[in-house]
Amino acid sequence: MIRKVDMTFARSRATAAAVVLTVGALTLAGCAKGGGGGPTAAGGASTPAKPLENKAVGSITVGTPADSTGPATPAEGGKPGGTVNMIDRDDFSHLDPARVYLNYNATASKLFTRQLTGYRTGADGIKLVGDLATDTGTTTDGGKTWKFTLKDGLKWQDGTPITSADIKYSFERLYAPFITEGPTYIQQWLVKGDYRKAYEGPYKGKSLDAIATPDDKTIEFTLQAAHPDFNFTVAMTGYGAVPKAQDTKEKYDKKPFSSGPYQIESHVTDKSLDLVRNPNWDPKTDPIRNAYPDKWHMEFGVQSQNSTERFLADSGADKTAMTFHNAIAPERVQEVLGNAEAMKRSIQGLTPFTTFYNINTKRITNQKVREAIIKAWPSKQLQLIQGGEVNTGKIATTVMSPTVLGYESFDLYGMLTKPTGDPEAAKALLAEAGEPNPTVVYAYNQTPTQEKLTVAIKDALTKAGFKVVAKPLNPATFYDAIGPVENKFDIYWGGWAADWPTGSTAIQPLFDGRLIADNASNYSHLNVPDINSGIDAANAIPDAAEAGKAWAALDKKIMEQAAIVPEFYQTYFGLYGSGLGGVEFSAIDGEQSPTNVYIK
Amino acid sequence: MTTVTWDREPATPRGPGPFLSVRDLSVQFSTEDGIVHAVDRLSFDLEKGTTLGIVGESGSGKSVSNLSILGLHDKAHTKIGGEIWLEDQELVSASRSTLERLRGNRVAMIFQDPLTSLSPYHTVGRQISEVFRKHKGASKAESRARAIEMLDRVGIPQAKTRLEDYPHQFSGGMRQRVMIAMALVCDPDLLIADEPTTALDVTVQAQILDLLKDLQQDFGTSIILITHDLGVVAKTVHNVLVMYAGRAIEQGTVQQVLREPHHPYTWGLLASMPKLNSNVDLPLLPVRGTPPSLLNPPSGCPFHPRCDYRDLVGPDLCSTERPELSPADGHRDACYLTLAQKREIFNGKIKERL
Amino acid sequence: MFRFFVRRVIGAAVILLIISAVTFFLFYAIPRDPARAFCGKICPPQNLILIRHNLGMDEPLFVQYWHWLVGIFTGRDLVQFGQCDAPCLGYSFATQESVFSAIIDRFPVTISVTMGAAVVFLSFGIITGMIAAWQQGRPLDKIASTTSVIGASLQIYFVGPIVVFFVVDSMGLLPRPSYIPFTEDPLGWFVHLLIPWVVLSIIFTANYTRMTRSVMVEQLAEDYVRTARAKGMSSRTVFLRFAWRGAMIPIVTIFGVDLATLFGGAIITEQTFTLHGIGELAVRAVQNTDLPMLLGVTLVGAFSIVVLNIVVDVLYAFIDPRVRLA
Repeated sequence: MIRKVDMTFARSRATAAAVVLTVGALTLAGCAKGGGGGPTAAGGASTPAKPLENKAVGSITVGTPADSTGPATPAEGGKPGGTVNMIDRDDFSHLDPARVYLNYNATASKLFTRQLTGYRTGADGIKLVGDLATDTGTTTDGGKTWKFTLKDGLKWQDGTPITSADIKYSFERLYAPFITEGPTYIQQWLVKGDYRKAYEGPYKGKSLDAIATPDDKTIEFTLQAAHPDFNFTVAMTGYGAVPKAQDTKEKYDKKPFSSGPYQIESHVTDKSLDLVRNPNWDPKTDPIRNAYPDKWHMEFGVQSQNSTERFLADSGADKTAMTFHNAIAPERVQEVLGNAEAMKRSIQGLTPFTTFYNINTKRITNQKVREAIIKAWPSKQLQLIQGGEVNTGKIATTVMSPTVLGYESFDLYGMLTKPTGDPEAAKALLAEAGEPNPTVVYAYNQTPTQEKLTVAIKDALTKAGFKVVAKPLNPATFYDAIGPVENKFDIYWGGWAADWPTGSTAIQPLFDGRLIADNASNYSHLNVPDINSGIDAANAIPDAAEAGKAWAALDKKIMEQAAIVPEFYQTYFGLYGSGLGGVEFSAIDGEQSPTNVYIK
Repeated sequence: MTTVTWDREPATPRGPGPFLSVRDLSVQFSTEDGIVHAVDRLSFDLEKGTTLGIVGESGSGKSVSNLSILGLHDKAHTKIGGEIWLEDQELVSASRSTLERLRGNRVAMIFQDPLTSLSPYHTVGRQISEVFRKHKGASKAESRARAIEMLDRVGIPQAKTRLEDYPHQFSGGMRQRVMIAMALVCDPDLLIADEPTTALDVTVQAQILDLLKDLQQDFGTSIILITHDLGVVAKTVHNVLVMYAGRAIEQGTVQQVLREPHHPYTWGLLASMPKLNSNVDLPLLPVRGTPPSLLNPPSGCPFHPRCDYRDLVGPDLCSTERPELSPADGHRDACYLTLAQKREIFNGKIKERL
Repeated sequence: MFRFFVRRVIGAAVILLIISAVTFFLFYAIPRDPARAFCGKICPPQNLILIRHNLGMDEPLFVQYWHWLVGIFTGRDLVQFGQCDAPCLGYSFATQESVFSAIIDRFPVTISVTMGAAVVFLSFGIITGMIAAWQQGRPLDKIASTTSVIGASLQIYFVGPIVVFFVVDSMGLLPRPSYIPFTEDPLGWFVHLLIPWVVLSIIFTANYTRMTRSVMVEQLAEDYVRTARAKGMSSRTVFLRFAWRGAMIPIVTIFGVDLATLFGGAIITEQTFTLHGIGELAVRAVQNTDLPMLLGVTLVGAFSIVVLNIVVDVLYAFIDPRVRLA
């Protein structure tokens, strides 16, 4: 399902809309406090009658150097020892941090890969803190140069110290030709022009001047332009540490060298991954990971029907099992909701993932027509067809997810007041536009669920006066079909999640008109100078909270342009075994977090 | 076709008393269309060391009657009546194990097509020696030696090496020699040869028949030779039994039956054979009409629908009353014509055509 | 014999070459860019170009095919994945694992399921068929004939879950089907695969019962069988040594065809019992339009069938001396 936030993995994304989506939360109280989860939050969830509201996570902040000091905040009742089992559908497609982009892979990487910064969850919400670095980095020029200092006592799994040279090397190797799957932000920010041409990576002896290491502890980045949220960017697993001495290049993906609390003992592709403690990891350096269990045993190939079954049975080794990503199977959700015992060990939360329908602004140039589409949209029907709110998500009305710093709730088109669509208002808009019966081409994945959605969309738009041409696409080639800028479709599904919880990656990749290209992520092809310059302005605001406000204002501007029909803010609803404590929801990754898990 | 030659007299029968005696043998098959009366009250005797030729068209019951001697008929669909005595052993009522001990041992058979009748999956050596081992309790080496001896005896060159060959590696004649070797390996008292030469070249036919005769003289085996070929009969047998529609219709020594045949059907059989020295201007006289259906055999004399002489007997006799073989001994036939009429017709009309 | 093998190996190589080429070129008829699977969520255009270059996809099709072909024998150095030792079948576009090692990992699963099932249904089918032939027309024959018709009309995706439900879920007699390497735990291997074997056998046994019965009845009417009886061979000898020998040829022929069916059916079998074999790999490769995996699986499938055909031919020669391998 939404395991792959990665836009490039066509299958998972294409099926994301086809298969019923992850399960909705009934209350977001838990996540609003930053991650929520655990027995307490789940207890609050047992009042399903409570109405939902789109409420911001609100409390993502940048932590202080004190927050960056280890050890991590202890989990209540947490104690070391034992083996935790993790069961999930897929194996991790990449272990080399430089090739990790998916949230699912990132969750696993937390156990053996550390970055300069990371997210610490606590009673006071989510904080960006220094992970390998002593703080979240310092900049004196509004974000153009960044300085990080490594903590004392950091070691690789073989006991050798983690130095600034290693960190520099980790960034240099991102330029190697075989590293293509991970994020590419910093690579582009550090050099002029095409980063592939500017630097070829460290394997032929060349180094990157933009990163300086005045001593063993200090790393200084000089960017081409100011990026005030650079310290969020380096929190991505894709910018994790790789030791030069252990770099096996392409093969590093099979067996990475650990800087975190665990190291890989064995990995059988598609079957299992076993982790044991890294004896050289010092909890005093780590503000993020409690790392209670001695071992992790991860088993793959378990479909959600199967994992739901096993968690409900809660017997044997499954008592001490969790899953990172598998949600409760849609057909068992009602059963779980009625099972007080199971609800005590359930996890709910809002993921960073949003879904929407792109409106191709290059083809539907009349803004009134686009507004009419949103007005007429049958959001409620689509939600019901996909299993109702519990199985899908909350109806979205904005671009940014509530998990993004600065999110503001608004509903420009009354999608929540008239969730089944407002054909009369849409007709009025079309009349205003002077196009009472415009023809729109709706492209969709040809799957049974999507066929049903298409009927509902067609009905609703037809009622408003549209002529709808439904164009079925092969799920395997969906993105190849909608990728070209000159595609022949007007409306098509999409999904997105910010790479870090600020507006820049929630908004810029989707709506910066200067990034329009074949297969680029701006599928609505929106190109409004005002918005483009607004993006630049927001990107330059040094204060995170202020920047958040600017992004929210841009969100509103984009919605005014009617470039997308927001669909859902996705929610997560999962289970774990009764023998575990400290299982929490990560609002950053949108799945269960391994950092505080312990065996009761 | 082998021509009938008169110049060669078969050896005089030897040995005492009837060795094989078939009495009132009836064989009926049940088929989907009804009951087939394949053999109807057939009786004959066979003296030790002699050869009996059984002659008739296909479907006349000659093969079936002999398969039933060994109990090789399809038991599920066959009803057998009458008695078959091999010396003091009755075979119709004999148990399966009794028959198994008899087959290949005291009574052996050879068949028409040696290619299909030999197992394609086993060497000839094995096929021969296993009979010897089974019945004589011989060791592997003994039975092997015996197999070589037999192959040698039936005239297969380099018997020792050919032992390891498979049937498909032999020529047709050699294969039939192998069959004969296999049949005679236990020195049987009775050999039933069912059309042993039909599938072979004419030149090879003669060799095989000579071989059978030689072996008979050496081993003193009694032979029943089933054939539709009167030429073979003339060359090989002592006594002849002519069968029609599952019944014996004429019986006698080879000279009697071939030189002075009594039954109109036998005349027809003889007249329908081409001969090298006959007058080419005289057409062959095949028996008119078609062989009767055994599902529903004609009433009275089964041959009457095809018989040219039934009016000589009287209005309805041939079609209502079944003629029995007569006289009790010697040259017997089942026809209502008087002996004088038979002689007159044969000498007057038939003989010139033979 | 030697000439036979040389000729067959050359023939097989040609077949495999054709199959792989057809698969290869057909794949490119699908309007899809595999490079996208190797590019991050936000994919700069120059990265797509780089990946296509890394994968060798910027070269003419026949050159790509040639590289792939040569790679099988010499190995390849693939930028995206590093050194790929011979026999190199490349790396999956979807999961990025080595195709060769994925196949090697999964081959024992498919072989265990299909061959194990084959042993079960062959023995049961032949034994029941022989009994039916021996008992021709009697009650045992009728029971065998009737049950075989029922068996043949069943489908694995229907019977499989039912058997699992009763035997595993309700009664708990056997563990849920899965694969445990024979070398690790022979008993576990056996116990965990028993259900798939039995279910496959329920379906296939029927065929062999019917066929064995009919060819045995046919063989029993053969002249040489009559000769064997006329030689005084006991009924048992006649049945088991003579008639059976001839009956084996059609059985081996059908078995060769059925093995191919079994391999093809591995897709359904493995789905039904969630076994991680070649069939599952094939399904995934098709779903993902994953060319290297698709080629690998196709090749292995074709290779297995070609090998099976040779085995069947050799078996013929063993059974029937008239067949010569040349």
